[in-house]
Amino acid sequence: MTTTPDIRALIDELALAVGARQVLHAPEDLIGFEYDATVDRAAPDAVVFPASTAEVAEVVQIARRHDVPIVPRGSGTGLAGGALAVRGGVMCVMTRMNRIVELDARDRTAVIEPGVINLALQDEAAKHGLTYAPDPSSQRICTIGGNIATNSGGPHTLAHGSTVNHVLGVEVVLPDGRVTWLGGQQLDAPGPDLRGLFVGSEGTLGIVTQIRVRLVRIEEAVRTMLAVFESVDDASGAVSEVIRRGVIPVAMEMLDREIILAVEQTMHVGYPTDAGAVLLIEVEGMAESVEVEAAAVVAACEANNARENRVADDIEEREQLWEGRKAGIGAIGAVSPNFYLLDGVVPRTRLPEVMRGVLDLSAKYGFRCANIFHAGDGNLHPNIMFDELEEGAIERVLDLGGEIMRLCVDAGGSITGEHGVGLEKRSYMEWIFTPEDLAAMELVRVAFGSGDLFNPCKVLPTGRGCGAGHEAEIRRFIATPGVYA
Amino acid sequence: MASSTADAIFLALPAERWQQPDRYTIDGVTPSRAARPENREEVASLLSAATSAGLVVVPQGARTALELGRPLAGYDVALDLTALDRIVAYEADDLTITVEAGVTLSQLQAHLDSHGQYLSTDPPTGDHVTIGGLLATARSGAWRGHLPSARDLVLGIEVALADGQLVKSGGRVVKNVSGYDLHRMHTGALGAFGVIVEASFKLAPVPAATRTLVLRCDDTDAAEALVFDLWNRSTGARALTLLSAPAAARLELSESPHVLVELAGVASAVERGAEVTAGLGHVVEGPASLWNDLRTLQADGTTVLRLTVPASAVRETIDDATRAGCAAWGHLAAGSVVALAPDADAATIMALRTSAEQLGGTLQIESGSASLRGDVDPFNVGEPDLVRSLKAQFDPTGTLSRGRWMEGV
Repeated sequence: MTTTPDIRALIDELALAVGARQVLHAPEDLIGFEYDATVDRAAPDAVVFPASTAEVAEVVQIARRHDVPIVPRGSGTGLAGGALAVRGGVMCVMTRMNRIVELDARDRTAVIEPGVINLALQDEAAKHGLTYAPDPSSQRICTIGGNIATNSGGPHTLAHGSTVNHVLGVEVVLPDGRVTWLGGQQLDAPGPDLRGLFVGSEGTLGIVTQIRVRLVRIEEAVRTMLAVFESVDDASGAVSEVIRRGVIPVAMEMLDREIILAVEQTMHVGYPTDAGAVLLIEVEGMAESVEVEAAAVVAACEANNARENRVADDIEEREQLWEGRKAGIGAIGAVSPNFYLLDGVVPRTRLPEVMRGVLDLSAKYGFRCANIFHAGDGNLHPNIMFDELEEGAIERVLDLGGEIMRLCVDAGGSITGEHGVGLEKRSYMEWIFTPEDLAAMELVRVAFGSGDLFNPCKVLPTGRGCGAGHEAEIRRFIATPGVYA
Repeated sequence: MASSTADAIFLALPAERWQQPDRYTIDGVTPSRAARPENREEVASLLSAATSAGLVVVPQGARTALELGRPLAGYDVALDLTALDRIVAYEADDLTITVEAGVTLSQLQAHLDSHGQYLSTDPPTGDHVTIGGLLATARSGAWRGHLPSARDLVLGIEVALADGQLVKSGGRVVKNVSGYDLHRMHTGALGAFGVIVEASFKLAPVPAATRTLVLRCDDTDAAEALVFDLWNRSTGARALTLLSAPAAARLELSESPHVLVELAGVASAVERGAEVTAGLGHVVEGPASLWNDLRTLQADGTTVLRLTVPASAVRETIDDATRAGCAAWGHLAAGSVVALAPDADAATIMALRTSAEQLGGTLQIESGSASLRGDVDPFNVGEPDLVRSLKAQFDPTGTLSRGRWMEGV
């Protein structure tokens, strides 16, 4: 890529704003920022690393003056292409803003910068007997700013809710460079819930620069169970039955045979390798309620032919059971050259039939499919395993992904439960929303002044939020599919 | 507004949908027309016709929050949503439900109770609020902070926009991040951006046992210490509420500060929670209906203020309100303080707001006279420019409840 005079002037201004060392623009430096954890790649023209709200505001204003796109990015763990600079421009990387500004244990709140790693906040809160509940599987590396962009979930979303339920307020730099707070310092600030509207807007309405979150108290008792089944069908039936019995565990995760094998091959956590599927189920609360709920869970599993129920009460056993779940997707990388991670949601009652459909479709396309997912929420994560060197494989994988999404939608579900729409799923939006629905969503972008340059070509389908005629400009290269760690 | 275009609005709905307007008076103003549409398409037709005619429409359900907001800048048409009262889809095994906006919370809870489920929110209005009103006002009660509230439990909504479009956001599944969450923007918006016609929620199992304990304290410092102690223990509390002495008197308890505790969970856990609670303070007998009595106090026609402050400032805020002549109480986990302020003038309210804002909090006037709500901004919303900007996009002609938020909005 040649650096045009316009780009040169842009880079000079950015260097003045944040310091020359905090601006990257050489092609070899940009390579690391042309991808997230999806299959697409697109390089920005410049990458900046601001250190303060004021610097972010200045960067936003510079990009606006130069009429180039601006794209916020955290750790780049996004699974929908939300942080790809599809039309080039300035990428604003938030990882330097990683301070926990304040943690008030008495009030159970914390103020953090967007580059704080999810697990770092959990670790800090744990010192006070508290936790930050949203726990995406990438929590060792993902930033909370990124979690806000996609309204991230995680295994414990089942009981605790997604990111939006834990964010009290956000300081944001709006597309015109103005800085404001949305939400408040407590739950239920008066007024239209602009905080709730902003969380999950995938960096298209502004850049979050500070966050006030609520923390919750760690419960006195936790029990983690591993129920072993001969088939995905039985395990799915057990999930539906646990919910039907009126028990909401804090987490209910499914790992199928392909995942179990991958996990055992790479890390040996002790999952039974001859099982068709396992459920990792956690209940927490007062000791008495843990007893009652655990018994109900065991009964529901036994009624669906569980051949074994392992129980972990101490923290080491629990962590071992969770280890396989947390690193399970990464383990697929060890057994397949490439894989494509999907994210769909179905009503929990439809889980058995939809899972049968997912496995049938994968077989029809001739791909192995490994499933590791938030079963209790009906939030599927099929991982399609393939080899990019095989002619036409990527196209067939994307087709299969589309068919699986269709299956979720037809069952009354959604095209994404926690990864976001980003670039990847824009075209599926029309499967669940009417043109009128989408036009109303577009009004939000207009009201926030996002124009065609603020994280363009994301969330809304082709032709919306990308700018007339700009679809063709999308810098899209299907290259090595990412491996999610 | 007696022009022929204004009269054309009558053609938007079948004749039998038009009601006697005098039943729909707000702040002493009676609209010239009142409609009670039977379905969402009729709501949309009405809005479209009103927008064309330049009329102001005020959506309302059980009319539980008519004094929430500034006096209206216009009131031509009352839009009564109570006929939208269908349960659209109840997936008991999935713990989700989709209902029309005019269903009341009590109807919803009664429907769910037969399956041992509920919507885990206890708004200050009590259960006669409609679901549309519950979301549009986004107020929560004693359970907030212990349990998710309506804004957390809503999965998706359908809204009739001022131009007559019916649009959806979200969905019916418990986890979903597709598209902009317009349902959150409409939450707490008092219908400024559209009229909610349908909503889907995540449900919870009804706890097997509940128990209320009332503890008397010598002063609010002691009550604060007690309530924090309880919050930091495993008791299964679903509500931890600190009452000032005047508030306790209004509930016919002795005139000293009290702590109200509601425990919920499996029976054996509630039993231990009660033992732990009783071991920490002086338990007194209280009427069984205390929580409901507390809600009822807010609906007796007086000026009511709602403040949000950090949990550690709840006691101080209650004391400030007491000194200002209010009967006040606070829900610790939510950091919300309710103050009954029959004699409060604008200066008193502004002083309380300033104190709350210095603590990072807010003050909202829940109810009060029209003149008071004209003198003092009932909300003081944090981001008026964006609210205006959204209003300009979603309701450019100001059809919906014009002036309720701020001038023109």
